[in-house]
Parts: sequence; structure tokens; C-alpha cells
Amino acid sequence: MSTTEIVEKYHPNFEGWIQEFQEWQTRIGFDPAWLGDYRFEIRFDWDSAGDEIEFGDFSGMPKWKRRMQIPQQNIIDAILTMVSVQGDTEFASVEQQNHLLATAPTEYDRKSALRIMCEEQRHGWQMAYLLCTYFGEQGMREAAKLLERNAQDGTRLLGSFNAPIDHWLDFFCFTHFIDRDGKFQLKMLSTSSFQPLAASMGPMLKEESFHLGTGANGLRRIVKAGVIPLDFLQKYINKWVSTGLDLFGTDESTSAEWAYVYGVKGRYDERESEMDADREHLNEASRGLYFDELKAEMIRISKGRKEGEPELFIPSDKFNRGIGMYAGKRYTVKGDPFEGSDGEWDEYLAGILPSDADEKLLMDEYMAPGVEWIQYREWKE
Amino acid sequence: MQTLALLAVDKEKLRPFFSRVPELFEQHHHDSGQKPEMYEELLYKVHRPYTNDMLSMIDDWMGLERRNISGEQEIMLRLFLLAIRYPDTLLFDSLDDILVNDVRRLSAYLHFSSHTYTIWDNDTRKGLAKLGFEIPDTEKADPFIYGAYVGTIELIKDLAPFTCFLEHDVPRQRLFQAALAAYGRE
Repeated sequence: MSTTEIVEKYHPNFEGWIQEFQEWQTRIGFDPAWLGDYRFEIRFDWDSAGDEIEFGDFSGMPKWKRRMQIPQQNIIDAILTMVSVQGDTEFASVEQQNHLLATAPTEYDRKSALRIMCEEQRHGWQMAYLLCTYFGEQGMREAAKLLERNAQDGTRLLGSFNAPIDHWLDFFCFTHFIDRDGKFQLKMLSTSSFQPLAASMGPMLKEESFHLGTGANGLRRIVKAGVIPLDFLQKYINKWVSTGLDLFGTDESTSAEWAYVYGVKGRYDERESEMDADREHLNEASRGLYFDELKAEMIRISKGRKEGEPELFIPSDKFNRGIGMYAGKRYTVKGDPFEGSDGEWDEYLAGILPSDADEKLLMDEYMAPGVEWIQYREWKE
Repeated sequence: MQTLALLAVDKEKLRPFFSRVPELFEQHHHDSGQKPEMYEELLYKVHRPYTNDMLSMIDDWMGLERRNISGEQEIMLRLFLLAIRYPDTLLFDSLDDILVNDVRRLSAYLHFSSHTYTIWDNDTRKGLAKLGFEIPDTEKADPFIYGAYVGTIELIKDLAPFTCFLEHDVPRQRLFQAALAAYGRE
């Protein structure tokens, strides 16, 4: 987040922010009528949030309930950044995806996507509430920025949330791979020393499980339908996995270490783990758990494939990375160093990542209107 | 109504159950006797307009003899499944006795046509009793007893922490019903 960015106009309270939010919906083309009887609510689960700081240097002390209880300004800043980044991703995904509602393959998919978009907006709403309620003027400025940055303009804080989601295959990959990263981030914040943040995570995680299920089931239904060849589908998996891995941040991250020291953000398995945290490799540890989960999920997705189709797999965590120790280095999807020339590398990538020609083939042939490229399912309440 | 119901909930009694929901679900739903793959197929294969074949597939999955009803009652049943909306159960009164005599069968039809309705199961009922929710035993589809059963499972779903929720292709009502069944058997 830029520290020099200045929001000149902002509303002095949450009610004012709500007005901005309604304008944002109109601006991005999300018709509020689509919400039906859905209402944005602030939800906390104080039971699961806990009362005592669970890790870090303040461990054992009461969790902070208000800003004034937070002992240092740099901890306030760290919390503000985390809430802002989380809120930013929630609104970004709606900007990226809402155009897809018009081309949903089934009513079930349209309603599932709409539910996801409603819940992502609620998550953003919750983060804005935290900013406006607990962080004074600084928080209100950050809340205003959540609605000013825009995925279509490429101004969202994280790269994946500026990438276009052009079609439903990307939507299912996004909900499977990127929302899964979101689940990890939310769970890491669910043990936070700032109690309103920790208490926000339980209800958000409940809703997030539906989003992940939509992605995983969507991919499984595509595999079962057998219209999109699996070696073709593999290219999209190759594209999205590295993006998901990068979202965990840099290796040996000092900001992750400080967040742990402050007790603001824990490990994914903070409450389950019996080992002390390796504070210098927190992002790597979470990334590793995420990677293991992806591999297990891909076995389930691949199970429904037709005879003769290749098994889908998760590419190596070294492949196509933009962040971390493998960033910019050349590795194959199997994790072997790539030995060829620049031209051979480009040729290799063209064969294993989706090209413009693949995108055209996908839209004009595999996912053309009338083609049943995904297993039918009826929406049921 | 829900606020009143919440007053009667003993949250301490729920805690041990909530801490084990994924494991209990796994135990019940993935038991070979539960035919989990067939269950998941039914989630896709049962859809509007409902046919006799779809209902027969549900009979088979439940391990019940195929229903023996007249053509007119078959139509009555299919119209009922199209018309009913959660949380209504009073519509049961519009059905012939032969259709309401077996709550397990009727609840299974309801579950696969509208997931919010849960399958009636005696072990699940015992699981609810362990949590402090006494639902009377019955074989008939009594609108009030079944309504209380479904409503209580919905309430438990609302109270459950996020650690209970799986991402798999199973409706949440089934997740809790199956976990309660395993809990009730213990």
C-alpha cells in the first residue's frame, strides 16, 4: 500500500462509506437488484476469536479490543495494512467477475457465482466497518480507498486481483486456487491479537468454504463432462498455481515475522501445531501447506476423468514463479531446471500455458453456446 | 422465533460435537453402507421436472423397497416436491396417508429436491438428544416433529464455528445430519 496516496474526499463515518459503496456497485456494473433479499451484515464470532493473545511477544496478554489498547503505532499500522489488503481483494474479485453472470453455463452456476459475489462484498463491507469503527480518520481514508482502486484499471493492491477473469474456466480456477489462498489468509488472521479482526474471520471462513467448493466442484464437473481435453485444462492449472503460490509473499519475509511477533497474524495451523514457529520462514510454511492441499484436491478433481485422459497434476512450486527464491528462474512443470536457450524456453512456455490461440479455441469451440462443457446441476435452496 | 430458540441452547454441550464435525461426518457419510458416491450422483441426477425414475434412484440409495403408490399419488408427490418451500412442512397435510406414513422416504425425496430439508434418521435424532434437543420418535411424517428436526439442524449449522465447514460437494445440511448420526451412535 502506498503511504503517499492521499484521499481528498472521504466520508467521516461508516454510514457515509455505505453511500460510496452503493455508488461503487453502480460504477462497476453490479446491479443491486441482483442481491434479492440478501443484506450486508456485520458478523462476529467472539467465541472462536479467543480472549488471550495466542502467540508472539505479547502472548498470554488480553487480546486488544480497541485501537487505544494496541501498545505501538507500528502494530496499528500493521493491522491497518492487513485489513486494507483483505478488503481490497474482496471488492476486486467482484470487479473481476461480475460480467460473467451474463454467460453462466447453468442457473446453478449463475446463482453460485452471485452468492459468492454477495459474500465477497459482505467481506469487504466487514473490513470497511473495522477500518471506520476502530481506526479513526486514518481508517476512514483507507476504507474510502477500498472503493477507489479498481481491478479493471489495474490499481488493486495484489497482482492476481488485477488480472482479467475472461471466462468461466478462469472463474473456477480463480475460486479454486485464489480463493483457497484467501482461506489461508483468513485463517491466519483468525487467531489475531486484535480481537475484532479475529472475530470477523469465523463468519467469513464459513462463507469462504462455499466459494472454494464452487471452484473445486466446477473443475470436477468440467472433467466429468469430458468436453475440454485434460491436457488443455492442464495449461490453465499451470497458469493459476504459480499465481496462488506467489500470493503468500516473499521468502524470509520480515513483515510476516513482525506480524507474528505482534501476534497480529499467525500460522495457518497456529492452533493445531505443536511445534514452535520458524519465524523467519512463515510465508514458506503457509505456502507449503497450501501446496499440499492443492495436490490432494487435484487428485479428487482428476478422479472423474474419462478413460484415456491424462491425470491432472499440480505443477512444481518452482515453475513460473514471480516471488520467492525461484522467481524469474527457469524450471519445468516437473521442477527440473530448464537447460535450453531463450527461444526454447518461450517455446516450452507456449506449450504448457494458455496462449491467445488456446483462449480462442476455448471460447469458439469447447465453451461455445450449446456445448455442454460442464456437468449439469440444478440450483437447490 | 430463532432468538427464543437460542435461549434454550446449551452452548457448552455443543462444543465437543463441534470440535469433531469433520471427523464424524467422514465416519458416517463415507461409510460404505452409506454409498457416498451414489449420494453425490443423486445431487446431480435429481432435478426438475422430477420423474419416477429419479424417485426410484432415491429409494434405491436409501435401501428402501420401491414405493407402491398409484399413478395419481405419484403425480401428487411430484407436485408436492415442486410446491414446497423451506421451512414449510404443513404441506404434508395435503398428502395421502400412504405418502406420509414413512418419514424416512419422504424426507429423502425432500432432501434431494431441496437440500435444506434433511433426511430423517434415528441416529441423527439421538445425536440431537445428546446436544439437548429432544425430538420425539416417529415413523410418520408429522409436520411439527419433522419441522422441529429440520429447524434444529439448521440452528446447529448457524451456531457452528468455521472449523466445522468442509469444502466438499455435499450440502451443509447433510454434513451436519451425517455428523449427528455418527455422534448419536456413540
